[in-house]
Amino acid sequence: MIRYLYEKDLRLMKYTILTSTKHDETVRAIGRHLDMTDAKLRRAMIRRLDMSLLENLGSRWEMGLKHADDGDPLAEELGRELFTRFIPLLDTETMQSIYNETRSMMKEGSSTDEALARGKARVREAILS
Amino acid sequence: MKKTVDVSIPLGPVHPCWKEPVRLKCETAGERVLRTELELGYMKKGIERIMRGRPWQEVMFLAERVCGICSVVHNMVFIETMEEISDIAVPPRAAYLRVIANELDRIASHLIANFSYCYTIEHETLAMYLLNTRETLLDNLERLTGSRINTAYMIPGGVRFDILPEDAAVMLADLVKVEEEVRRHTQIFETGPLIALRSRGIGFMSREEAIRSHTVGPTARASGVPDSDLRLRHPTYQALGFEQITRTEGDNFARVMVRFQEIFQSIDLIRKCMDTLPEGPIRGGGLCKAGEAAYSGEAPRGELTYYIKTDEYGRVVDIAIRTPSIMNIEACAHTMIKDVTSIADVTATFISSDPCVACNER
Repeated sequence: MIRYLYEKDLRLMKYTILTSTKHDETVRAIGRHLDMTDAKLRRAMIRRLDMSLLENLGSRWEMGLKHADDGDPLAEELGRELFTRFIPLLDTETMQSIYNETRSMMKEGSSTDEALARGKARVREAILS
Repeated sequence: MKKTVDVSIPLGPVHPCWKEPVRLKCETAGERVLRTELELGYMKKGIERIMRGRPWQEVMFLAERVCGICSVVHNMVFIETMEEISDIAVPPRAAYLRVIANELDRIASHLIANFSYCYTIEHETLAMYLLNTRETLLDNLERLTGSRINTAYMIPGGVRFDILPEDAAVMLADLVKVEEEVRRHTQIFETGPLIALRSRGIGFMSREEAIRSHTVGPTARASGVPDSDLRLRHPTYQALGFEQITRTEGDNFARVMVRFQEIFQSIDLIRKCMDTLPEGPIRGGGLCKAGEAAYSGEAPRGELTYYIKTDEYGRVVDIAIRTPSIMNIEACAHTMIKDVTSIADVTATFISSDPCVACNER
């Protein structure tokens, strides 16, 4: 396997980016949307996103809220585009399978709240995995 | 038979094409780039932290040191945010002088951006022509403000110096020269076969992708993002009849061409300002007060936002700066460079987005 000759541990610098004034507000907002603790979310972000994407987190979150999943309430609640294309915390296939499963739960007679809670729990699991 | 292998290619942090240190890790299949990761942190200044707790009179000088290339607009947006917080009015003459300084800075910034691009694609002749033209702009900025780079020209309620009639005459004569030169440079760029090979259809970013990553400035306008120039909402620019320039190609060529086109537009704006420069004072006065505001202005690279919180003595309690390069570099690394078919195009595409690492690492 090819390895870089020189590799730095970027976790501390990524953490510094995420705890600056505006980024902290964004992380908290995303945490509220996903019902996740800030610490867990930060850890997932540090693991999955590079430094430039973390720097641009606030703008992507704002644009995601404006433009992602227009007109589909279930997709909006789960963040189908928001957490795959705007803030790539999980891959499109995983998110699509969560979306399909939640939709079929609702079709099979589960209440919207119950199905959404299950769907969001799966999103959290996928982000933390 | 040619064999295609998967390789990870790191570019930088020290690279002949980079103006500032940054590390770009490219995962490739043969020469095709599959994924990139950007590593920052080689020149972190911690300038936001240094600003906190200091009086605005000190922060004003720190603000323009965030970036050496577009220092005038950092000064302008910081001061306009302080004016927003403290409800300070600007005399019309000062507002027009601010536009002149800002547009001179914009032309100088666009010229250096296009210089970097031409230098990267090995068109050194055009690169040197552009750098030479930039000197004329910086000379005029010095005539107006007393300094070439960190001018500290704008203060709450006005500007520090008026323009002398003889300096105005020299500036107008120089602008004729600059316009002629840039017209020639634009033609060289537009018609050059080597330039077309390295620029057209390379580093493509669609309008949707540009919106998704909140790309701003000429980088967004080259991908056809409408209403992406904050000068459209600035009262002085509105009075001057400003209109946004947009292209639809979304490639390296379009990004450089938008900057060339904006240079002509800036020259026209300066001429309009000179023609209609109102008489009157250049400083209206006013005290900086306690408050909180987020204010955005159009820097040469795009939307620049200052969020400032002050106390009753005008000290900066909290500050956050969102520079345009944060969005543009990210979009470049994750969208434009992705699927580039030759490693040689990675550097050219990266430079075409006019990346300012100093802005990114406030």
